[in-house]
Amino acid sequence: MREPVWEFLIVNYLFLGGLSAGLYFASALATWIQEDGHSAYPRIARWGAVLAPWPVSLGSALLVLDLGQPFRFWKIFFHFRWRSPMSIGSWLLVAFTFLSLAYLWSWLEQSERQSLLARIPEKIRTRIPVRVRGWLDLDASAWRRNLAMLGFPIAVGVGIYTGVLLGAVQARPFWNTNLVAQMFLFSALSSGTAALVVARLLDQEPVELKEMRFLYSMDITLIVLELFIVLPYLIHGELSSLAVKHALAQVLGGPFTIVFWMFFMGVGLLLPLAIELYEFKPVILGKGTFHIQPRWALTAGGLVLFGGYMLRYVFVFAGQATGFR
Amino acid sequence: MATKTLKTAQSIRRFAMVIDAKKCINCKACVVACKAENQVPLGVFRNWIGEEASGEYPRLRMSFDPEQCHHCADPSCVRVCPTGASWQREDGIVLVKEDDCIGCKYCIIACPYDARYHNPETHTVGKCTFCSHRVDRGEVPACVETCPSKVRVFGDLNDPKSQLHQLLATRRYEVKNPQTGNGPQLYYLL
Repeated sequence: MREPVWEFLIVNYLFLGGLSAGLYFASALATWIQEDGHSAYPRIARWGAVLAPWPVSLGSALLVLDLGQPFRFWKIFFHFRWRSPMSIGSWLLVAFTFLSLAYLWSWLEQSERQSLLARIPEKIRTRIPVRVRGWLDLDASAWRRNLAMLGFPIAVGVGIYTGVLLGAVQARPFWNTNLVAQMFLFSALSSGTAALVVARLLDQEPVELKEMRFLYSMDITLIVLELFIVLPYLIHGELSSLAVKHALAQVLGGPFTIVFWMFFMGVGLLLPLAIELYEFKPVILGKGTFHIQPRWALTAGGLVLFGGYMLRYVFVFAGQATGFR
Repeated sequence: MATKTLKTAQSIRRFAMVIDAKKCINCKACVVACKAENQVPLGVFRNWIGEEASGEYPRLRMSFDPEQCHHCADPSCVRVCPTGASWQREDGIVLVKEDDCIGCKYCIIACPYDARYHNPETHTVGKCTFCSHRVDRGEVPACVETCPSKVRVFGDLNDPKSQLHQLLATRRYEVKNPQTGNGPQLYYLL
């Protein structure tokens, strides 16, 4: 067993980056779907916009902390190396972070914008050119849909990047398949949606059933898609070269078996799926009335987030334990 | 004219190493020589000897397997480096610019031969350089010079008169893990 050189700071980074991508994607979708010229799910969209910038910012900070030379992180941005997933991903994350902040700004009311601007110390505020101040106080609500549309590919790119970072490494047979990028993408989108379920239920505003119906539909779809990536990953691996079969032994009898099958697959994927399907049963069967048990919904949302974290934990640690020796 | 000729000749060199593992007695002289020559910190290594036991008493057999950076033709570590700190000279030697290295450790993970280490003193990545400072002076790497069994042979692949070239032309050999497409330049005689 090789000693891992990437540990929990990287696990956190991958999870938080994916979470932000998922939050933005779900929020953008909620913005995109319109009723009478307005967002059909404004509270969901707003919660997603408010939450999206922060996990990725925290995750990027953790990545910098993980560097052997943290104060040299800026050197990444003095190069663009198209063959390095980390180089492309770093630029992508910066673009995504700024975009999500702009998107957040477009969802703020004027009073909120002004109270935020008022927090800037007087000394600094008076030095900001009037023109720039005008921009900062601009009502960008008309741009919500455009920002949402612009953000779709970038959010998906961030979600894929977290998988490509691992999947592009030929030296680790556990990782080296394009299914990893897809797995991480669906996990990221599912985690973002689950985070919105949790946020919405913890919100003071009463929950509308159509909102939960939207979120549940999305989360069920994404979990099923994730399931249909994980299983092919395992089957494909078992039918691959001996090195890949040996690598998969990490989760098929090896040290990560319990974490993978119990905590990720069971608790993090199948259990929340079962809960959500049970609550969604009236919609699927077309009889009965759809309603939400808040405790069940919070449990399902929390479990999805837990599962997303476990997936990245297993992949980061198990992958580094594999090689061709 | 002489200078131009010399430069032209130098620009098409391709350094590689041939290893005759059967001669290895695991005395670790090469490991010590590398440590001494390159001031490698405690606890990490640029080269090492893999050991493998096979068979059963009374027909027990020990194999020793000298290992180090393979200085690949298309190195994964150079490809994944986000700052370009890992780079490759024209003669094939793969190096790390310590000042550009941010210590992200991506290259350590990307190397199929596990040939890189995180330097605990500088918190950057370190690796075998084929003793490039000695090679530039026309000498051989320290591990080659010190080996009592002459396990390692270092030379220029493009020089038909070199011992390395002749060994590869007359002996059967293999490289490790060719499936990654890296094109390793460490040749193991069979």
